[in-house]
Order: sequence, then structure tokens, then C-alpha cells
Amino acid sequence: MQLTKSEALFAEAQRLMPGGVNSPVRSFRAVTGTPPFIASGSGSRVVDVDGNEYIDYLGSWGPLVLGHAHPSVVAALMRAAENGTSFGAPVEQEVELARLITGALPSIESLRLVNSGTEACMSAIRLARAFTGRDKIIKFAGNYHGHADGLLVRAGSGGLTHGIPTSAGVPESYASETLVADFNDLDSVEQLFNSYPNAIAGIIVEPVAGNMGVVGPTPGFLEGLRRVTAHDGAMLIFDEVITGFRVGAGGAQGLYGIMPDITTLGKIIGGGLPVGCYGGRREIMERVAPLGDMYQAGTLSGNPLAVSAGVATLTELRKPGVYEQIDRLATRLTDGVGAAFRINRVGSMFTGFFNPGPVESLAEVEQSDATKYGRYFHALLERGVYIAPSQFEAGFVSTAHTEADIDATIERVREALAELG
Amino acid sequence: MNQTRSQQLFEQAQRYIPGGVNSPVRSFRAVTGTPPFIARGQGSHVWDVDGNEYIDYLGSWGPLVLGHAHPTVVEALHRAAEGGTSFGAPVELEVELARTICEALPSVDSVRLVSSGTEACMSAIRLARAYTGRSKVIKFSGCYHGHADGLLVRAGSGAMTHGIPTSAGVPDAYGAETLVADYNDIASVESFFQAWPEAIAGVIVEPVAGNMGVVPPAEGFLQSLRQVTADNGAMLIFDEVITGFRIAYGGAQTLYGITPDITCLGKIIGGGLPVGAYGGRRDIMEMVAPLGPMYQAGTLSGNPLAVTAGLTTLTELQKAGTYEKLESLATRLADGITQAFAQAEVPATLNRVGSMMTGFLNAGPVDVLAQVEQSNTEAYGRYFHAMLERGVYLAPSQFEAGFVSLAHSEEDIDRTVAIAAEALGSLG
Repeated sequence: MQLTKSEALFAEAQRLMPGGVNSPVRSFRAVTGTPPFIASGSGSRVVDVDGNEYIDYLGSWGPLVLGHAHPSVVAALMRAAENGTSFGAPVEQEVELARLITGALPSIESLRLVNSGTEACMSAIRLARAFTGRDKIIKFAGNYHGHADGLLVRAGSGGLTHGIPTSAGVPESYASETLVADFNDLDSVEQLFNSYPNAIAGIIVEPVAGNMGVVGPTPGFLEGLRRVTAHDGAMLIFDEVITGFRVGAGGAQGLYGIMPDITTLGKIIGGGLPVGCYGGRREIMERVAPLGDMYQAGTLSGNPLAVSAGVATLTELRKPGVYEQIDRLATRLTDGVGAAFRINRVGSMFTGFFNPGPVESLAEVEQSDATKYGRYFHALLERGVYIAPSQFEAGFVSTAHTEADIDATIERVREALAELG
Repeated sequence: MNQTRSQQLFEQAQRYIPGGVNSPVRSFRAVTGTPPFIARGQGSHVWDVDGNEYIDYLGSWGPLVLGHAHPTVVEALHRAAEGGTSFGAPVELEVELARTICEALPSVDSVRLVSSGTEACMSAIRLARAYTGRSKVIKFSGCYHGHADGLLVRAGSGAMTHGIPTSAGVPDAYGAETLVADYNDIASVESFFQAWPEAIAGVIVEPVAGNMGVVPPAEGFLQSLRQVTADNGAMLIFDEVITGFRIAYGGAQTLYGITPDITCLGKIIGGGLPVGAYGGRRDIMEMVAPLGPMYQAGTLSGNPLAVTAGLTTLTELQKAGTYEKLESLATRLADGITQAFAQAEVPATLNRVGSMMTGFLNAGPVDVLAQVEQSNTEAYGRYFHAMLERGVYLAPSQFEAGFVSLAHSEEDIDRTVAIAAEALGSLG
């Protein structure tokens, strides 16, 4: 596989940007090799600058549930671009997107649009602290909620991938307000509430972990979180940046029947543009400026270009059978690749772990053979299949993937595994 | 002025969104009234959903230095939209934008693109802390650097506008790491360095304040900041989210001849889409993952759609005569407005650096926050509406900057001045 142009671009990129990338995992350090520079995407495919084509299961890390350059989204973008992409003033499209989101997620009565999942989660935390008057928060080791300082403590995603779960530059005084529990271990949560009664503002959790690879909640775990937070007067914050509009029309909260107090969203709701969101019960959201004293602002928040892409995407997702379709395709894929992997899947998000046992906790995730994953990744890449360049991430199927794509992928997976020996 | 449709939309918006807006100042609480919902923009004009037309000096709070829907930017967006807006993987355009930024700002050897000024500033702070191994940061009261917790302490912009300069929900432990000095008062900075030797990671400053309204740096202030930080091994962080590519192609650092350690950028570099950036000396940026232990990531960072809008914008700005033209238009406006205020005998002070300006309803001078706060915000509200009714859209808060774009014509400027004279006359 020829990567001449990518190599040249990567060399130059490394002179101008740390690691040559604008997000660490894209550097391929976990899997080695030169990352292909992407030239274009269409449907389920991307093409790199050397002309190599790939069936894409990264989907830009989740947003592209409709695949690349979906005609409805492109049309919406063209129209919005002509009218002006941003005004710093209210636009009708913001109200439309807000209506679509609140309509889908009953726990959200009021919401604020922001520019990223990072902004959404840091705002949700500040809101929980403002609403409860408490300072401590609980997160789970291996969960990732964007790069706000207080959440870069035992973080997943690239933090896990690159061995820096707790970032340099986070003051100890900040980190001491972040308590870390173990995902799928309710005891670890209850202990913290026993140690810090009436001091915890809230728990933030990925209801289906995606940032340590996919790890679904064990039965009773989410219910337990809801119970223990309600009992203590703490907020339950669902980080549905990945799962929102992905695992079902009602997100993970709909799938598992839990009502969080605050929800964060991102990725899919931007339709391939930068959009995030935090929302929840009205009385909580009434603390947000200009109504209340919790400040949060953003120049490009709710800009009509991004919002149009989000509206177009959520509108497409309301079509009958969409979630059945992507779930079916994802099942076809995960069933088809067979027993070489421990597969965790919820709806159309999945991870194939090179792992002997069940993967239900971070400790078990960390038993995975990340080195083998790196070799597997390249064996697939050479065969024209693009998956996440890290064991500790999720892969995604879109509405643009066909059964032919899936079947071709299964075949190439078999070849890649055979090559690994 | 008919605002029927805006009123309907605002009512609906308030049901789903706090205050009906996705950023507090847009709610018009500082100036009262119903905010017009904007339907479209073209060049220097915007139209609201009721068909009212305005000459726009908000420019979406700074990004739109080329005006709304600039043809070259629109074309670039069309092309990029068809090719896929985001891949979560490297693209050639990111490299081009990074190169363009590094070439424009000699202090920036290496740059990381993010999705907002907020992300840029919070990353810059974390980077300064990681690089120096220290925890405390100095900011200036009335300066605003996005909504990271530690920076929502004595913040400007909407925090100031709405009377909540220090946000609820920021833990005391966080607030304690942020030291607040007074803009244009170097002694207030020096005394912190004396009180906290070897404990201060850096100073973050808007080199030309825009978020308390425009307040230029006093003579020698920025040089003194450079001196005191260098003497103390602390980082000097220039928040050029507003001033970058606005007051000069090389930003405030070029205009004032200062080399900061870290620079934050935003607004203009996104060309009307969400883009931020932080960058600086190579050895500092080498702390950033995947090279170093300072973590920062972003799914949509460097996406080709946003990057192409930014790159197209910066390329346009490189054309000869750009900043001369902006200066000429801005001077024309500033002179006209100043004269209108004088003739109406309304105490006013116009602060301007290049194409960013604020007309303070304030006898002046306005060189520090305490003086800014003497401004007559109630009168500003009435002036704002008198202008709005006559088709001129200003910032709906006294404590913000207004902007002239390359799309503004001399005719726009002259009409604005005439309207201002009328508006001021009507205030009585």
C-alpha cells in the first residue's frame, strides 16, 4: 500500500503541529505507522491522498451515522453557507434543533448548544456544582468526557491509549475534587458516597462506555447509580456524546430506561460539524446564565451552519427502520468476524477486543493485547478497511454501509487474522 | 419596527433553551427588548426574520472580518461539504492552516487546532502549568478567556454584562489557583509575583482588551508583562482570539512588538465556523500529547470544513491593502461617531485599535476596568435600540467590541454616522 503523499504530509505536519495531528490518537502512535491523510469521503468510504480507498468504521469517531457527505446534509450545508454561517444572534434553526433533541430525550426539558463534547461536559459539571452547592464529582476510570482539567483524571480514550490517564498540568487542587470509581462496580460508588456524604455534586458516566472500547453497563449498574445519586441529592449526568442518537432514538437513557438529571450530547447532533449540548430538568437549567448565576457562553454556539447539519441528520434518523437497519448491519459484522475477538456491541457501536475473557470492566479491558491489535489494524488497513487506530475506542456502522460492505469486511478480517497467525 | 416573528420564535426558544439563547448576551437582557432572530447575512448587512435590514457591526462577535457569506468562503464551503466534512483523521488542509498561522506569528513554532476560543485558552493554561510545573495563573479582571472554570473568576464579556463575574459552580479549590490582577496596572501583577515566588505558571491577557469593551494596553504595559514573566520563569499567554488577524495580520503581538510564549486564537481563523488554536515555542508545545504528558484531544478538531473556511479567510486577508482598508473604514466610522456624540452633547469615549472599537457612554478616559464600569449602561441600552430601530446592529452590551469588516462600504459608514446623530438626538 502506497503512502508516499501521506508520508510527505505527515513529515511536514510534525514540524507544524504537536505529533503532526490535532488530536493525539490520529498520530497512530498506538498502532505505529504513518496515518493516511484523507482526501475525501462518500457514504461508507474514504479515500486517502495516495488514492487508497477504505471501508470506514471510524466514521470520524461517531458523528457520521449517515455516512460521509450524505445528500441531505450536504444540501443543508450548501443552503446555510449561502445565508451566512454565523451571526452571534438567535436563529430559527437553533429552536428546531432544540425541539428535535428535547422531543427525543424526555429527561431534557431545556438545553444549551455548545461547540464540542468537551464544552458540554465541563458545563454539565459546573452546572451540577452550581445546582447542588457541592464541589466533588465522581467519574469512572477509563471513561472520557473531553479535556476539561477536572475530567482528565484516570481518563479513557487517548488518555488510556497513550498511557497518560491523568494529564500533566492539572493542579492537584483540581484533581482532588474528582473522585474516581470503577465502571460497573456499584460498590466503588457507594463507598465514595459513604466517605463524602452531602459533598458530591454529581456522577458523570458514559452509560455505555465507548472510550475504553465499548463496555456495556452490567444489569442494575445504571439503576444503582440513579438510586444512589437520588438518595444523596447528587446529580446523575449521562455523557451521551457517543450514545446519543446512536444506540437508539432515545439514546442510552431510552434503551435502559433511566432518567438522568443532566445529559451531554455531541458528535451525531452536529452532523459532521462541531456541536455539543448539555441539558436536563428545567429547574436545573434555570441556573444557567442569563437565567441564573452559572456562566457559560460561546461565540459560535448554535451557529446556523452547524445546526442545519444537525437538524438534517436528526431528521433523517427519524425515518422508520433506521436504527433497525444499522443494528442489523452491525450484528452481521460482529457475528461474521467470529470468535477471534471478544466483541462488545450495543446497537451500531462495537469493539473487537483481543482478549481472553469477558470485558466488563477497565481491568479486563486492560488485559487486551494492544500490540496484536496494532498489527491487526495495519493488516486491515492494507486490505482497505479503516478501523479505530486504538484498541480502546469504538467502531461504528452507518446507514451508508451496505451488506456488501459488511461481507467484504468480514472476508478481509479473516484474511488479516490469518496473516497474523 | 415589526418584530412579530422574532417575538414568536423567542417565546418558543425560551421554552427549550435557558433565556432562549445559546449564549447569554444574545438574550438582550443588558439592553432589554426582544432580540431579532437573524434569517440571513450578506456582506455588511443582516436581515431578521421579520424582514428588517441592518448594517451589522457585531459581525458575529469578531470572526466575520470579510463580512457575511463572502463568495470565496461560500465556494470553499460548498466544495468541502461535498467531499466530507470530518474524518477524525489528518487532512492536508490542517497542515496548510497550521503553516499559515505559524508563518503569520513568529512566536508560534507549533500549533494545535481546537473547536473554540474556550478550548484554546483552557488548553493554553494547562500547557503553561505542565511546562512550568506550577499551579497558579494570573488573569485580569474584566478580561474574558472562555468558560473554563478557572477563568470564570472576575471575567469580562457576558459575565460582566450580567453581573456574575465569578460563576457559580466553580469550586473554591479551583478559584484559589487563579490570581486576579488589574489590566494596565503592572504593579498589581508584580505584587503577585512577589507574593507567590516560583508558584505562578503564567499570565493570560487580552493584549488589547475587547471583552470589557475595547481598552488598549497602556504604554509599556505589555513590555512589562513580558519582562516580569521572563524574570520569574512564567509563561506569557496572549489571548488573541479577538485581536489575531484583526488588528494586524500578525495580531497584537506584531503590532506591539512582543513575543509571548503561548498564543490563543479563534474567531477569524474559523472564517465563521467553530475553530480555535493554541500555539507557541516548540519546546513548550512538545509537552502536548502525543508528544508529551499534557493531554488535549477533540473529535472535530481540524475538520476540513472549518479549516477550509479559516484558510480561505486568512488567504483573503493576505491581499495587499487589507489592513489599510480596514483602518480607513474604521477611522471614518470612529471619527463620525465621535463627532455625533459631541454634537449631541452626550458624554462618550471611543476606544479603537484597528477595526475593533467601543463607544463608551462615559466622559472618559477609559483606560482601566474601574473607568469602564462608570459607563452609563442604561443609556447604552436606549442608544442601542435607537440604532437598531434605524437599521444599525451594534453589540447588545456596553462591555463588548464592535467590528468593521472589509465588506463595509463608505456609504454604510456614512449612513451609520447619520443614523447615530439621529438616534442620539432622539434620546433626549
